[in-house]
Amino acid sequence: MGELTTIGFKPGRSMLHRLDPRTKQLILMLLSVASLWGDVPFLATASIVMVLLFRLARLRVRRLLLEIRYFLFLLTFVFFVRAVSLNDQLFPVVNVEQTVVALIVCWRLLLVVFMSVLLISTTRTGDIRAALVWGLKPLPFVNERVAATMVGLVVRFLPLILFQANEISDAMRARGIERRKNPVVRLTRFTITLFRRVFLRADELVDTMQARCYSEYRTLPELFFSKKDIVAAGVAMLVLLSALIPWKVL
Amino acid sequence: MAIIETFNLCHHFADGTKSLRDVSLAFKEGEFTVIAGANGSGKTTLLRHFNGLLFPDSGTVLVGGKSVKKDPMAARQQIGMVFQDAESQIVGDTVYDDVAFGPENLRLKRSLIDQRVSRALADVNLTGFEERCPHHLSGGEKRRLVIAGVLAMAPRVLLMDEPFSNLDYPATCTVLSQIVKLHEAGHTIIITTHDLEKVIAHAERLVVMEKGCVVNDGVPEDVVVSIKQFGIRPPCSVQMGNGIQPWVS
Repeated sequence: MGELTTIGFKPGRSMLHRLDPRTKQLILMLLSVASLWGDVPFLATASIVMVLLFRLARLRVRRLLLEIRYFLFLLTFVFFVRAVSLNDQLFPVVNVEQTVVALIVCWRLLLVVFMSVLLISTTRTGDIRAALVWGLKPLPFVNERVAATMVGLVVRFLPLILFQANEISDAMRARGIERRKNPVVRLTRFTITLFRRVFLRADELVDTMQARCYSEYRTLPELFFSKKDIVAAGVAMLVLLSALIPWKVL
Repeated sequence: MAIIETFNLCHHFADGTKSLRDVSLAFKEGEFTVIAGANGSGKTTLLRHFNGLLFPDSGTVLVGGKSVKKDPMAARQQIGMVFQDAESQIVGDTVYDDVAFGPENLRLKRSLIDQRVSRALADVNLTGFEERCPHHLSGGEKRRLVIAGVLAMAPRVLLMDEPFSNLDYPATCTVLSQIVKLHEAGHTIIITTHDLEKVIAHAERLVVMEKGCVVNDGVPEDVVVSIKQFGIRPPCSVQMGNGIQPWVS
């Protein structure tokens, strides 16, 4: 289990690692909104910045693309659904305008995924949890500790689930699953095994956490805002504003 | 004084299989015990009763004189358990996070948590590994990490379920040396294994289980002579007539 996946915390001392998790969550929210509004020049600039941030955090974009290949299949499906329409004779027709819109939609979604991966890779799960507890505390009728624990567990165990999926996939290929042409059979075999492993792992996890006196009301990491956080949040605000103003106006 | 006591402990699984039958045992504070048995003999099930991960169908388990069923959290604070699969026990993003997990659950202050983490890592020779990713450690280092995670909770008893499984020779020797050191420091140690070879020389007591029952209990030198009949391989040195020989000095 030497190398897990790119989607998971990577210890480091980059600028992104040193930002307060609350700032990072705020930036993620602002930039996600900006990406949903932004036009092509904005998306292009954001993509370049994203690649630079990935290099800064020592993450490999190519490796990440490989690991999110199932999401990329889904994105391809979304692209075709948006780009292809049926004419009066029910023949599929590709319209240039619709294709551009479909490309932009997929680009935006991919950027949001990349930003989330960046947050997860540079922030300890405990810090993400502590920041969520801090952020959700003012909300009425929300048990912030339970909600934060649920998010924390998903973030923590997503890489393990992906790792197990890769292991099962390798084991099935080693036994010639590729000779089975029916994709439903392949998918069923894979999914059932994966679910069984994940549930077993979840059971083991519950036992080990209970053995170490797990409680939702535990000591949280101490969080500190610094000047870096103010600068980073300010830059994110400017980026959001630039997305709201179309480039044609400038 | 006994730190753990079981009285007529019985347990069966959901499918009706009897896993423990009338088990009555007492473990003294500071004792080093090995519980041996073939696969499915009930060793792990017994350990899980000591810290309230399982509860008996009948009978009683007492830790420090208190019923585990009535207050499992109190039992878990006193009894640290190292599971067979070290990987499944690792919950932290870094070595520090993982060792701090237990003390954080006990709601200790951050300064005290930091102290406990440093001490626990020093106890298992992992000082300097604080910022490392636990999944990138070697098998032996992972095993020592989970021991540190338990030690940071300052338990009175250490339960270890097959602590040498999947370890190579050097890693086994390192983990074994750490266990011996912990016992010398005053910890009560209870280890389950089907492979006596590595650890038996350091134990003061050997309990043998078969089909959920305790079938022999005594000083290792006496018990090991007739152990083959219970599906456990006697140590090589015993088979060659050299008595019990330690793996580490």
